[in-house]
Amino acid sequence: MSQNNLSKIIIVAKDEWRYWLRSKLAISVMAIGLLLTLSSVIVTSINMMELSHARHELQEDAEETFVEQPDRHPHRMVHYGHYAFRTPAPLSILDPGIDAYTGNSIFLEGHRQNSAMFADQKQGTALTQLGSLTPAFIVQTLAPLLLILIGYSSVSRERESQTLTYLLSQGTSGNTLILGKGLALLSVIGLILAPLAVAALISLHDGESITAVLAFILGYGLYLSVWALLVLLFSSALSKNSESFTALAFVWILLCVVMPRVASTTAATSVPAAGKLETDFAVIAELRKLGDGHNAADPAFDKLKAELLEKYNVDSIDQLPVNYRGIIASAAEAELTHVLNEFAEQRMQTELSQIHVSRQFGWLSPMVAIRSLSMLVVGTSIETHHRFLREAEALRFEFVQALNKVHVEKLSYQDDMNRNKDAAATQKARVSAENWQVLEDFNFEVDKAKQRMQRSLAAFLQLLLWIVLLVVAIRTIGKRLI
Amino acid sequence: MNYFFQQLNREWRFMLRQKYILILLTCTFLISSFSVLSGLNEISQQQQTLERLKAADTVDREAAQKKHHDPGSIAYYSFHLTSSAPSNLAFAALGERDIYPWKHRIKMLALEGQIYESDTQNAELAQAGKIDFVFVLSALSPLLIILLFHDLYASERTSGRHDLLVTTAKSSWALWGARGAIRFISLLLCLMVPFYFGAWLSGTNLSNVVMVSFWSVIYLIFWTILSVYWGKNASSAPRVASGLIGIWVLFAFIIPILGDLTINKLVHSPEGGDIVLTQREAVNDAWDIPKETTMDAFIASYPEWKDHVAMESEFEWKWYYAFQQVGDQTAAPLSQAYRDAAHKKYQLAGIASLLSPPLLLQRVLTRLANTDAVAAFQYEQQIRDFHERLRLFYYPFLFTQQKLGETQLATMPSFEKLTQIQKAELNSNIDTSQ
Repeated sequence: MSQNNLSKIIIVAKDEWRYWLRSKLAISVMAIGLLLTLSSVIVTSINMMELSHARHELQEDAEETFVEQPDRHPHRMVHYGHYAFRTPAPLSILDPGIDAYTGNSIFLEGHRQNSAMFADQKQGTALTQLGSLTPAFIVQTLAPLLLILIGYSSVSRERESQTLTYLLSQGTSGNTLILGKGLALLSVIGLILAPLAVAALISLHDGESITAVLAFILGYGLYLSVWALLVLLFSSALSKNSESFTALAFVWILLCVVMPRVASTTAATSVPAAGKLETDFAVIAELRKLGDGHNAADPAFDKLKAELLEKYNVDSIDQLPVNYRGIIASAAEAELTHVLNEFAEQRMQTELSQIHVSRQFGWLSPMVAIRSLSMLVVGTSIETHHRFLREAEALRFEFVQALNKVHVEKLSYQDDMNRNKDAAATQKARVSAENWQVLEDFNFEVDKAKQRMQRSLAAFLQLLLWIVLLVVAIRTIGKRLI
Repeated sequence: MNYFFQQLNREWRFMLRQKYILILLTCTFLISSFSVLSGLNEISQQQQTLERLKAADTVDREAAQKKHHDPGSIAYYSFHLTSSAPSNLAFAALGERDIYPWKHRIKMLALEGQIYESDTQNAELAQAGKIDFVFVLSALSPLLIILLFHDLYASERTSGRHDLLVTTAKSSWALWGARGAIRFISLLLCLMVPFYFGAWLSGTNLSNVVMVSFWSVIYLIFWTILSVYWGKNASSAPRVASGLIGIWVLFAFIIPILGDLTINKLVHSPEGGDIVLTQREAVNDAWDIPKETTMDAFIASYPEWKDHVAMESEFEWKWYYAFQQVGDQTAAPLSQAYRDAAHKKYQLAGIASLLSPPLLLQRVLTRLANTDAVAAFQYEQQIRDFHERLRLFYYPFLFTQQKLGETQLATMPSFEKLTQIQKAELNSNIDTSQ
């Protein structure tokens, strides 16, 4: 591009700005847009930081109360249980994603995998069904509308007021004109993204990687560029301001309001998911075969019993040097966890295939693409939640088995069997509270930046494809601009 | 009359020649149909799930009751399915059934430890929201109306025909009225025909269909009048539409968001986690404190068992279920405050939605379809009532060694029967109040 051409482009862009600054509509739209973005960044940042702080504290409290429990029968502690809290990712100050829709704490206890409880949405006002004051929503849904409102007439205006022929005959090519208008729109995009970028950079301080921050900003930059290109395309292709506006407004309705919901509904319909309640029946049926770990006399454990007797070369379980009840509890827990994990994995796979369907709609709507891109890069998508579920399960299994080990080694079988005889026997069937130091520190962290980037690759491609197609279309129209 | 139809006929032919209006109407019809069909599909999936669950639940409970013979173990191992079936209008207003649970399995242990378990759907899909008929009507149709009506005058002004048309028309009604009426009726039909089809398929009762139609028409008329009035004197169609879309953004997003922020600042709710934590501490501490303390707390609520609380062994089921109940009692104030906060928020949201027609319409229609938060609150209360009946059923067997045989098991309360009784009571109350 020649120096001359570049300066022409800048002149066109400057002129567009002069027009906006004179137009009451453009000024108020920009002011409202900036105000919304700024306030959403501030409100969401404060909210998410508070949540993060609160959950860290709850996690520490849960660990402390567990350790502070008095002397008890070790199996009582298995049922006393523990909690795992999902602390939000640093970038979630810009896109909380599914945080409010999944419970954020799980009660961990023996023999059960509980689901996450207390999703914030349930205790909410139901007022935010259409949209919430998060930077993600504002920029994904409202910013395109803002670009349409200030840009719909960028080229069609010149045509309607008959300045277009004049401009073209003066030696400004159609493409130069469109590029200049595009540059002006790009500067508006920069303005919208500035508060986001600042907040994203702040999250570096909380340990977010620079790659993720840059990818986040780039993703939103690409998304809004798609909209700037759409605006330019319709404004150049249609001959009247009103036609350009109506068409753009309609495209916005389809891509931003209708498509995301069509995507999620299609996903839910095409991949039906059995609820947890339903798979629980299958789990119960599977577990019946395994035997009840509370009942050491369950015939399901006969084989294990025979093996133990042989190993220690004794005739009856009373003579074993270890606590037979503890061994049964431990063996039953291991088998049961195996079954539970299998079903949990199945459920997660179903959810992933649903999400896979809905994310394909990103080829049809840039809004769906940026929605997944944003949640994936930030680490507030379903994948990260699944990892939380897996890590919480690992924590559960670890402490339950550690307690079962205490049961096996620190409590004699005779004391254990007599535990309900009288108060003194109950006292004797306890182990010291020192044994409660079995908890690993649980600190949930967002996935590695590299992994998040890999997941979001498809969404980046979707946006890039939109950009390439739109650029080609605009260039064709730009050449024929009259 | 004939003259009237001539006007409509002329405007009808005029509309058929405007391509963009036809595209708009076709899309409206397609989106509305999609929302109704997917709603029907969702509801039929929910019904099928419930059927399967009911069958599996009965089998599972009967197996547990065969395997165990003492009342304590039977109570410990029998689960009970509770559910809230979708109404015959639910296909059009899926409401909050994807956020609040509509199925639970509970047993006789402390309820506070069970009731917050939720069998929710895919969170990422829930976050995107579903497209149901109520969404199409409340959020989308105003935008379509804006696109159809904002340029009623302005388009004629810019094309220079306005004054000519006005002077040649017999009355302003004959021109603008006929044009507006044709556009309005076409849009109304494109929106509502799929709904009527869905209502016919799912056997929605007539009164509900009439109510939905009534509210829809009122709502659409509101937006039409607003759009026409807003564009009355303007000559630039895009400027009119910008203003109208601004109003829509205000109603659909800004007011609800501000309302949400204010309400969450006004209403303080205990943390859900604290309820479960309190309940868990109370239940687990029971193993370490004197049995009399637990039993005293229990008979304070159920004095009828005060002569049967003496224990012969260090573990007896009656004591086990007594401390479960005491756990619930300890957590009861927190739990009540938690529910009160949710109710309060719902009420305040009602006030906020008075300022936002789209939300008001959603509220009215989800209430009609019984798929809103109120329905979820009622369902939770039903679960609590059922849990209480279940406990009252078991207590005599636990505290006074009565035999729990097959004859007695047959009289065990069931959730379905309970909800039927409650419904009958509600109806008879309505009858007597009339």
